[in-house]
Amino acid sequence: MTLISNDSAWITIQETPLSLEEVSEFLRVEEAGAVDIFLGTTRRWTEVEEKETDRKTGRPETVLLEYECYKPMALKEMHRFVNEAFSRWPVCRACLLHRIGEVPLREISVIAGVAAPHRADAFAACRYLIDTLKTRAPIWKKEHFVDGDSRWVEGDSAPEHLSSPDTM
Amino acid sequence: MGDKKLQSVQVLLFSVIREQAGIDSTTLQLDPGEAVSAGLLLERLAATYPAIRPMLPLVRIAVNREYVPREHMVQAGDEVALITPVSGG
Repeated sequence: MTLISNDSAWITIQETPLSLEEVSEFLRVEEAGAVDIFLGTTRRWTEVEEKETDRKTGRPETVLLEYECYKPMALKEMHRFVNEAFSRWPVCRACLLHRIGEVPLREISVIAGVAAPHRADAFAACRYLIDTLKTRAPIWKKEHFVDGDSRWVEGDSAPEHLSSPDTM
Repeated sequence: MGDKKLQSVQVLLFSVIREQAGIDSTTLQLDPGEAVSAGLLLERLAATYPAIRPMLPLVRIAVNREYVPREHMVQAGDEVALITPVSGG
């Protein structure tokens, strides 16, 4: 399922676990002195309304996250974010990988990675990739709690008049 | 030109709105040569699936895998997706 658009970009959506080792291997190139990698992982406690909380901890326990996506559009958007990162910063390599389906505690749901000559650009481009993915990519997560309950996470609202690609 | 497919719009639903509607896709028929705004298309869909109506103010619309404004005109053969606030990552 891996889709590599060219030698310097790696974008994929997959149901299997994401490999940090493969990402690190992909990003470490001779031109880059800085590699920035963001991992999004499933955490046990998330903030929700008081009425749903466990009285002892004050927070309900999550057992896993379940991701769903509109895959062709999500991939198209992810390619757009990566292309934009290349045009805004001096990026040597970039990757944006998302896992869908069930992602248990501590496991990685998303990896954004950037290799650049210097760290400021690597940080900026990597942050751009993950921030943009979280507001634009048609991907959704559902939290499954320890008591068997579940709910869709309330996502980021749309910026008004959002249309693409003009607003990018 | 009598082909039904040539006069229909495919609509895709995901996550919370998919569960509320109870369907992950449906087909809306247009009259020959008809084009309707994406916003009006949502209204037609809500007439059939009233459970989705409360969510409509939050829905972003994608046509052929690109976000579009509500005034965007949808034509037969288009793929329309209802995108509730996203929560990937």
